[in-house]
Amino acid sequence: MLAFISARQAGLDDPLRLRRAECTRRVLSLELNKDRDVERIHGSGVNTLDIEPVEGRYMLSGGSDGVIVLYDLENFSRKPCYTCKAICSVGRSHPDVHKFSVETVQWYPHDTGMFTSSSFDKTLKIWDTNTLQPADVFNFEGTVYSHHMSPIATKHCLIAVGTKSPKVQLCDLKSGSCSQILQGHRQEVLAVVWSPRSEYILATASADSRVKLWDVRRASGCLITLDQHNGEKSKASSEAANTAHNGRVNGLCFTSDGLHLLTMGTDDRMRLWNSSSGENTLVNYGKVCNESRKGLKFTISHGCDPEFAFVPYGSTIAVYTIYSGELITMLRGHYNTVDCCVFQPNFQELYSGSKDCNILAWVPALREPIPDEDAEKQYLNPAFEDGWSSSDDEG
Amino acid sequence: MERRRQLIPATLRAKKRRLQPGPESGEADGRVEPALRSLASLFPRQLFEDTLPPLVLKHQLYSVVKDRTAVDRQLSCLKDEGLVRLFQLGFDADTFAVAFAQDYEAKVLQSVVGKDHAGTVRRFLGSVLTSCPELSYDKGQMLRDFGFQDPDITQLVNAGVLTVRDAGSWWLAVPGAGRFIKCFIKGRKAMLGLIQKAKYKEVLLSDLQSRQAPSAVKLGLPYHIHDLIGAQLVDCIPCTSGTLLRLADP
Repeated sequence: MLAFISARQAGLDDPLRLRRAECTRRVLSLELNKDRDVERIHGSGVNTLDIEPVEGRYMLSGGSDGVIVLYDLENFSRKPCYTCKAICSVGRSHPDVHKFSVETVQWYPHDTGMFTSSSFDKTLKIWDTNTLQPADVFNFEGTVYSHHMSPIATKHCLIAVGTKSPKVQLCDLKSGSCSQILQGHRQEVLAVVWSPRSEYILATASADSRVKLWDVRRASGCLITLDQHNGEKSKASSEAANTAHNGRVNGLCFTSDGLHLLTMGTDDRMRLWNSSSGENTLVNYGKVCNESRKGLKFTISHGCDPEFAFVPYGSTIAVYTIYSGELITMLRGHYNTVDCCVFQPNFQELYSGSKDCNILAWVPALREPIPDEDAEKQYLNPAFEDGWSSSDDEG
Repeated sequence: MERRRQLIPATLRAKKRRLQPGPESGEADGRVEPALRSLASLFPRQLFEDTLPPLVLKHQLYSVVKDRTAVDRQLSCLKDEGLVRLFQLGFDADTFAVAFAQDYEAKVLQSVVGKDHAGTVRRFLGSVLTSCPELSYDKGQMLRDFGFQDPDITQLVNAGVLTVRDAGSWWLAVPGAGRFIKCFIKGRKAMLGLIQKAKYKEVLLSDLQSRQAPSAVKLGLPYHIHDLIGAQLVDCIPCTSGTLLRLADP
């Protein structure tokens, strides 16, 4: 560590190298911390989490009962023991709350004044954060599985929506219209995600085992359909030609540089694709159990040297290195199936939501501070204080 | 935690190094070919009266060489060079059998000696097998590139070298492999039943290896153990008494 710092100081090393090494070290030491907690508001499973990209301070969560809660993750209390408080929530008593389970929430990518939420009640709502009123509602014919807004778009304000219908709908925030569709899938669309590299490229995953990459400016059709055998027709039976998985594809995530795409399918496999050529890189992650009937939300780290994928695996979270396919560790802590996880890149923290109504914070295990003899007594979490007394008197 | 500390790049670790534990198994080499040969030696030739080449399932390699991506890459290099051939066995879309090309050709020729279609099979082996490392062939390819007509193709199917995949395309097959597949499926079921009946559905690896093979397991215990571990039908949990094999949740 000192060698890194002195090399950085002398200019021998690229400034990014120290940062990447330290980020990687922190991600490898993620664990549950007794001093960090997220306030428990949800009364049913947490389906989705999103952290705003501007400051990384506020987190949204959507639950199976339609409740949306906003948390402040920042610790200004000057104590190491901190509970992330919920600032406000759209509860069951709110007049415009979603009627059924909220499947996806996302912050408006450019500021925290707005967020979007989509739900099984066939609507996509655009909320104003300060007043907590819906500014607009889009209605669809089928249940909405997933929606996503491009994080880098400046020339358009499109939200891509994946519903029970095979057509991917694009809703325009500026005009309020919902007329553009992308046709090509044959069954319901389970996941949609925009590329973080190009503002017009969209990837969609469907229950018909296909993943398609689209350019939304092009009216005629998709750019590429990902093929797991890379064109070698001999490996599969003829019905499985041109499919990304041997089952429904229900998870999609781009790496932070947008060069690779990770997909997860119900055939218990995860695949890594080159996003510009559509080629399967054939990295083998082994069996990644996937029993989810709807979309699976997994996440990729940002700023580390071998990038890590955090994948919900039953009631644990499996951490894989992306480019070599190695399973690093399983993060255990939840009591029931984990539904979603998000990575906070500024502090290398992971937040995960599960069916047991808890959101857990996985924090890098810090190096132990050197104990100081004349310093005041170290602050101890009141839950761990020893209340035993040897005297016979009571109290 | 041990594994995680090993993964942190060496430059970040403190100067004092603890003694690292030695490599877990003898084949920590990471090379696929020696692993293939050692697994092929586990195949019981005498059970099938020496008519089958030693068949190794691709996922058995994952239990010997830990890095799956490296196994896949090296195997596809070996396949392109023509050293090994891959076959689709038919009971699972993802399961592939691997056999050395020389053994395969020798056994095929041995199986057609004295039969009518020997000439066609020899021609097939000579022309198609040497040029195409594929797993399956379709009608257009056979007609155009290699000049095999319908009666020839029927002879090849009768010889067992080709199996029907769907209308107009065929998988490459091993003649007489049906007996192997039957023994394999029965053996796998027996092994899984063994672990299912154990208390807590788990069994120590050393304990399993020292047990007598149940009568349904004809291919040998080590062969099936590699199969179960590689296909991730059991989870390998390291514990103080060795490796524990626990049945994976379906």
